[in-house]
Amino acid sequence: MAFEFRLPDIGEGLEEAEIVEWLVSPGDAVVRDQPLVEVLTDKASSELPSPVAGTVLRLGASEGDRLDVGEILIEIDDGSAQVADDTKPIAPVVSAPSADPGPSPLGHVSRPKASPATRKLALEEGVDLGTTTGTGPGGRITSDDVRASGTQLAPAPAASASPQIHTPTGDLGQMPSGRHPLRGIRGVVARNMERSWAEIPHIHSMDEIDAALLVDFRQRLRGMDRPGASAVTALTVVAAAAARALRRFPMVNACIEGSPGESIVVHDSVNLGIAVATDSGLVVPVVRDVDRLDLFALATAIANLAARGRDGTLTAADLSGATFTITNYGSMGGRWATPIIPPGQAAILGLGAVADRPVVVDGQVVARPTLPIVLGSDHRLIDGDLASAFKGSITADLLEPLNLLVKG
Amino acid sequence: MVVGEVAEAVDMLVVGGGPGGYATALHAARLGRRVTLVERGELGGTCLNVGCIPSKTLIEVADAMVTPDRVAAWGVAATADLDMSVLQAHLRDVVEGLTGGVRHLLDRAGVVVLAGEARFVKPNRVVVEHGATVEHLDFRQAVVATGSRPIELAGVPLDGTRVVGSAGLLSSDTLPEELVLVGGGYVGVELGCAFAKLGSRVTIVETEASILPGFDDRITRTVTRGLRSLGVGICCDTTAVDIEDAGLVVSGPDGSAVLPADRVAVVVGRRPNSDMVGLVEAGASVDEGGLVVVDPARRATEMVFAIGDLTPGPALAHKATAEAEVAADVACGRANAFDPTCIPLIVFSDPQVVVVGMTKADASSAGIAATSSRFPLAASGRARTLGTGDGFVTVVADGDGTVIGVQAVGAHVAELAGEAALAVETAATVKDMAGTIHAHPTLGEALAEAAMGLAGRPLHAG
Repeated sequence: MAFEFRLPDIGEGLEEAEIVEWLVSPGDAVVRDQPLVEVLTDKASSELPSPVAGTVLRLGASEGDRLDVGEILIEIDDGSAQVADDTKPIAPVVSAPSADPGPSPLGHVSRPKASPATRKLALEEGVDLGTTTGTGPGGRITSDDVRASGTQLAPAPAASASPQIHTPTGDLGQMPSGRHPLRGIRGVVARNMERSWAEIPHIHSMDEIDAALLVDFRQRLRGMDRPGASAVTALTVVAAAAARALRRFPMVNACIEGSPGESIVVHDSVNLGIAVATDSGLVVPVVRDVDRLDLFALATAIANLAARGRDGTLTAADLSGATFTITNYGSMGGRWATPIIPPGQAAILGLGAVADRPVVVDGQVVARPTLPIVLGSDHRLIDGDLASAFKGSITADLLEPLNLLVKG
Repeated sequence: MVVGEVAEAVDMLVVGGGPGGYATALHAARLGRRVTLVERGELGGTCLNVGCIPSKTLIEVADAMVTPDRVAAWGVAATADLDMSVLQAHLRDVVEGLTGGVRHLLDRAGVVVLAGEARFVKPNRVVVEHGATVEHLDFRQAVVATGSRPIELAGVPLDGTRVVGSAGLLSSDTLPEELVLVGGGYVGVELGCAFAKLGSRVTIVETEASILPGFDDRITRTVTRGLRSLGVGICCDTTAVDIEDAGLVVSGPDGSAVLPADRVAVVVGRRPNSDMVGLVEAGASVDEGGLVVVDPARRATEMVFAIGDLTPGPALAHKATAEAEVAADVACGRANAFDPTCIPLIVFSDPQVVVVGMTKADASSAGIAATSSRFPLAASGRARTLGTGDGFVTVVADGDGTVIGVQAVGAHVAELAGEAALAVETAATVKDMAGTIHAHPTLGEALAEAAMGLAGRPLHAG
């Protein structure tokens, strides 16, 4: 069976290393202590010798890749009969949610490997252990792995999951005094927010839009005799405007990967996350390929997700893959907020409540329906001029929604 | 108390006061439920009253009886004499001490204990009969834990004196001279060892090809050696046909024979008590063998849970106790499921047996490429100081090095069940097991040694 040589901790406190050059290839015979690879850490570059003699089966990474300590560097067939492993201390492998989970543990066992406490946690959190990648020894699923999986599978509780209107229940803000474990949807929200806040330098730009034509447009669409007409809301129109702006400015439909940032990933499709408050916390169901949907199809898609949220039948697929998020904080009342960008995205659009407010028209102060909008941007990727242009595109379409009926 | 058709409302009803029932009642009471427990016999069920506890007490006594033989070679001259009436009083003391403890725990938890036999008449109602008194209870939820009863053989009907079950054998205040045990499962083997040590001539009759059917061959062979050295006769592939004045008529590979017996104990297994409690009337599904169909939460109907010997799996007290916690949690709205990786199995034979999780053969039929390592107790310092070296400890691991099973046979190895089960349940690796310092000299070192073998670093094994 193969000897798995994992990246050892070659410097104090080392967490990862970059593969500079492979000195062997699959199929090569190697002898003990033969240099296998040159790696670069933030301290120095060094050659790693082979701990065993045998034949190289597989390289665990390509040149230029970065590996975490403990990840498989190379597999060598050393002719041993049983599973061997490096005996040097190995730091636990922590896989970031967005990163490739790596080779899954050998699927010999008919049931997932997890302790009783972890299994009970999975049950409480609604996490399917069968699809959870274990990061513990021998592929064991740890409680942390379960909590990380909760991101994908946290079911939306049945009550009050409408993206349009959130009615706070009597339980809002209630919790017995004392110390509570941070888990479930709350735990996932906390970790995502922590990551966003720590990694993304936010800028927020705000505008108040005269919404008279938007309100009129929405009402006229609703009055049309077409499937989906009754589902059209102001959010539908804003979502369509955002989709158009995202197609115009692909850098906003993108994200920075790595911490510290290493690469810009520009997404292919435009998938809109709609932030929804539930009794247990925030979930963000996703409408895919928004730019390809007409207003009625978009309205129907959002309404379906809202209904599924109410029924608690949202699946992992419904909750993942957003490239941009709209949060309709105005549904709870309020004019201004500074929303936080979810990990893996570059911007977020917040909507305040539409209400009659004083505006100046032709030198006169008059009452008009207005919509406050806030664009939060990742300032690493989006400069002020891009934020302004992106927001300007949305604003223009909302001021004159007929734009949405025109291609390009 | 209300008599007649007027039903009394009960919050949570528990039917049966054995290890499953009383544990359910305690958990549910702790979770704030008002619990009513109905028991037709004694609190503690089969396990405490007529099963594990009296038999293990008897086994200790039996060991004391053979101690003079064991220590003679060490320079100790001793004799042992048995007073059966004192022995019975001792058994009753142990049992009453434990059942009294259960009653005290239930009282302290505020559980209302009703004596009587409960029977479901509709999905949310039971009738409880106690002598001439009949009571109707309407429950919000019920957990049924009525256990199982011994299977009887048509050809060898119990008469309560000469032909008995395990309970009758344990409670008799005379020692049989010629004891035939019908059934070579773990109960027959345990009682066979014990009565042989107490002084009976014992024969075990088993229909299968060896005693302890279903156990690993190597374990079976070691236990068979132990039984033979105690002078126990073993008739495999043999069926008990009839009982005559001369003894038990059996039919085996060599034809029929009469085994002389002044006592015959029928210990051929147990069947669930699902029929006596009317679970079908409650809306539950019961299979041909009498097992109640339950989901992982142990729910049999919307309102009724079933646990313990009523549900599929080994009829063991510790399984029932574990299911009790699941049923109580789920009934109280907490997420839980009965999903153990292993249910440890021990046999208090001489030598003892522990089976936890998968054997290598189990693994291979499950499609798992497993490796195993066996450490002989002859190389264990502790086993040698105990005066025995027969037996071994086997650790089985999957391809990732995760411990998926432990089997052991030898003196006192039952005490290894806890560590073995912990390793399997927590998916410990052989390196975890080998890397844990085990106190010297203990039998636990044998587990570590077997694990070291799998980790490629055997120390005391060849």
